[in-house]
Amino acid sequence: MTILRTEVLPSSRPDVDQRPRKISRKPSGVDAVFAHSSRAVGATVLVITGGVGLFLALQAIPTLRDYGTSFFTEEQWSPDTNQIGIAGVLVGTVSVALVAMFFAFPLALASALYISEYAPAKLKPTLVSMIDLMAAVPSIVYGLWGFFLVMPHAGQVAVGIQKLLGWIPIFRVTTIDASGAVVTADPHAAVVDATRYVSSAFCAGIAVSMMVMPMACAVMRQVFSQTPPGEKEAALALGSTHWGMIRAVVLPFGRGGIIGGTMLGLGRALGETIAVVLIVSPAFDIKPRILEIGTATVSSLIAARFGEATAAQLSALLAAGLVLFLLTFVVNTLAALIVARSRSGAGADA
Amino acid sequence: MTRRTPLLAAVLAILTVFSLNSSAQAVTYSAIAGTGSSWSYNIVRQWMSDVNSNGITVDYTPNGSTQGRKDFANYTNDFAISEIPYQGVDESGQVDKSDRPYAYLPIVAGGTAFTYQLKIGNTMVRNLRLSGETLTKIFTNQITNWNDPQIKKENGGRTFPDLAITPVVRADGSGTTAQFTAWMADQYQSLWKSYSGRTGLTSFYPKKGRMLGAAGSDQVMNQIAASTGNGTIGYIEYSYPLNKTAADGKPFPVVKVLNKGGYYVEPTEYNVAVALTKARIRTDLPQNDPLYLTQDLRGVYTFNDPRAYPISSYSYMIIPISGTDRTMTTAKRQALSDFLFYGLCSGQSKAGPYGYSPLPLNLVQAGFDQVKRLGKADPKVDLTNKDVKSCGNPTFDGKNPNKNVLAEKAPMPAACDKASAAPCGTDTGTNTPSTDDKNAPTTPGTTTAPGAGPAPVAGAVDPETGAVIAASTATAGQPVSAVATPLSSDRPGQLLPFAVVDAGLLVALVTAPGMYAAFLRRRKGVL
Repeated sequence: MTILRTEVLPSSRPDVDQRPRKISRKPSGVDAVFAHSSRAVGATVLVITGGVGLFLALQAIPTLRDYGTSFFTEEQWSPDTNQIGIAGVLVGTVSVALVAMFFAFPLALASALYISEYAPAKLKPTLVSMIDLMAAVPSIVYGLWGFFLVMPHAGQVAVGIQKLLGWIPIFRVTTIDASGAVVTADPHAAVVDATRYVSSAFCAGIAVSMMVMPMACAVMRQVFSQTPPGEKEAALALGSTHWGMIRAVVLPFGRGGIIGGTMLGLGRALGETIAVVLIVSPAFDIKPRILEIGTATVSSLIAARFGEATAAQLSALLAAGLVLFLLTFVVNTLAALIVARSRSGAGADA
Repeated sequence: MTRRTPLLAAVLAILTVFSLNSSAQAVTYSAIAGTGSSWSYNIVRQWMSDVNSNGITVDYTPNGSTQGRKDFANYTNDFAISEIPYQGVDESGQVDKSDRPYAYLPIVAGGTAFTYQLKIGNTMVRNLRLSGETLTKIFTNQITNWNDPQIKKENGGRTFPDLAITPVVRADGSGTTAQFTAWMADQYQSLWKSYSGRTGLTSFYPKKGRMLGAAGSDQVMNQIAASTGNGTIGYIEYSYPLNKTAADGKPFPVVKVLNKGGYYVEPTEYNVAVALTKARIRTDLPQNDPLYLTQDLRGVYTFNDPRAYPISSYSYMIIPISGTDRTMTTAKRQALSDFLFYGLCSGQSKAGPYGYSPLPLNLVQAGFDQVKRLGKADPKVDLTNKDVKSCGNPTFDGKNPNKNVLAEKAPMPAACDKASAAPCGTDTGTNTPSTDDKNAPTTPGTTTAPGAGPAPVAGAVDPETGAVIAASTATAGQPVSAVATPLSSDRPGQLLPFAVVDAGLLVALVTAPGMYAAFLRRRKGVL
């Protein structure tokens, strides 16, 4: 057995310092200026995000101290009677976001696939800019679109859904009869009680879905376009059809992007404000019935009540904002983790 | 050097023109911004576009009176419009006051109307009439169906469909809500108290039961006008239904409200002007009292003139009068005062057509005096050449400032508007006095709904066929009551097949183009 050994031979020139040269990784001159300034700019992002969280937390302290856990369980928002709670609002936020994702996810996935895999080269840039344009349309425009164009039809669809699937609790719609009791609305009535089927989480979710779709679509499209061409060609060379190639190569490669894009969209859907304010009729009870009139989301609550709030009410609104902030933070962090861990996202650092 | 001379000359010429221009205009304006009431937004918007041609830019956001007062106190606007004054401590114990020095001045009058969408078959009911008590019961969830006997009784025995009533209320802090609840609290105290637990007005309507909340007057109107709005009723300034077109091309109807004179009336400019002659305006206070010019409407609610619309009120502007106000400048004060002079003066002649009612001379005069306090705050503001007498205001007498010409020439309500008479067949929401005279100049092409219109007068000619209508078909003025019998359009067991067909069609709609393209490509490949 021979042992390999590295020996530093003594230099033939004793006048030269024989210690290894010290390599400094410290940038100097212009490099240093650039490195420090970009670090400072990068740090501001953390400072701003942290500052928002800290501000919300500080403002929320009085509310959380006054109301304690009842802030999370109370189903009313009536500062007059000192009963404030976001139980129903949180349920509303989540249900609007889920309805939005129900519509946005298939649309985003299908359009991303079409643009990256099927669309003719001539059409591709047009489609991409159309999707980007959708993302640039102001939220209030989607709100008006949702209110005037979509809501009347969505109300009729809601009646139909209740007829067929009303036995599922989330598709139940209740109404209040002459004696004041809460009863299930009759979708088979000759004159359907149409006002019970509008201004609901379902209607708001449709408008919100149009706002989150472009965002989710952009992420998915970018990930799909990064699929290694070698693997795609290999699949085709092995006799796969176009769809077979997409199933075997593009979709598995882009799984991280699909999940990440969806979660980013969900994060935005949770916080969408003005379209929801326009469409919903505010209600603060826990209402898992998405087709029924009346709901509220945290951001729509803040937008609607912020202007006329007193100091105590403002603190309560900001406490609700803190909860939303944490919720979105968790969703977005999960999205980032999933994207980063996937193959497609490894190089992308989403 | 010589090359530069023409350029220099041009610059000089431009400068001269500019300086001449500004000296000719004498006053400079800068843009002013206001927030507050959506009740009076429609008329303020008209004034804004009118003064825009004079170089005055006014920006106004109708985000509700409560918000307007708050914005004013926080120095975030240059003026606010509100139906009610600062409440000091508001109904829920919250602070509602302004440390920013201010003055109130009435800008326009109007009636809080009740607009509704109620269909019999496919025809909208347009001549509903209700007493104050019935309205209060509707908005306190005591009357919940349109076929309620009390509604039937007030409409000459006409039965409305078996349809739940959905009251639409404001979800934000609103002066309209304040005016409406003030009236309920004063007139139907026990009903209001047992519903809301309060004795006074509130800007935030306590929403219960089937009620639908909407932010802003616009959204209230939209909710009622929506295709899903059948069975809704909401409270709103008269101009909103007047300027909203229903599916049949006519404006939205409003409820004729029973007054103490025993007549059902609509909030036209005349009826509002008559009612407000009983408003007690606090002119007894010194001008520097914060409550100077505010209104006490209890006399209006109970005025027994047959023409008076009981829920009439003034809308107020809140202006900053301090000379050291930190957001105001000379140019802003100038813009605000000229805007107000226009609104109080010539602007009042537009109030009627827009569904408001013009201010009487004494209030315009008082308003002018309040505006002059802007000049006191800043002597550089030019307030010359402002004369009340030169205004084209339809209420002015010229000689007697306390006389309201409009209220005097207001037409008496038609005989069919009397509580004991059968309802008039004419449409409401048209800004014209109601009448039971068929030949009255109402809107051309008015077709009365079957069952909703007045029965043809004996000897009348059918407008479509030209045939003489026999006198025996109905007694004159008596509307034919249509008893709506709702029938389901579905047959049992029909639903599932249709749902399956619908789903199939939807799938086909998405896939058919692709399949067609694939088919074309394949055929091309074969050939």
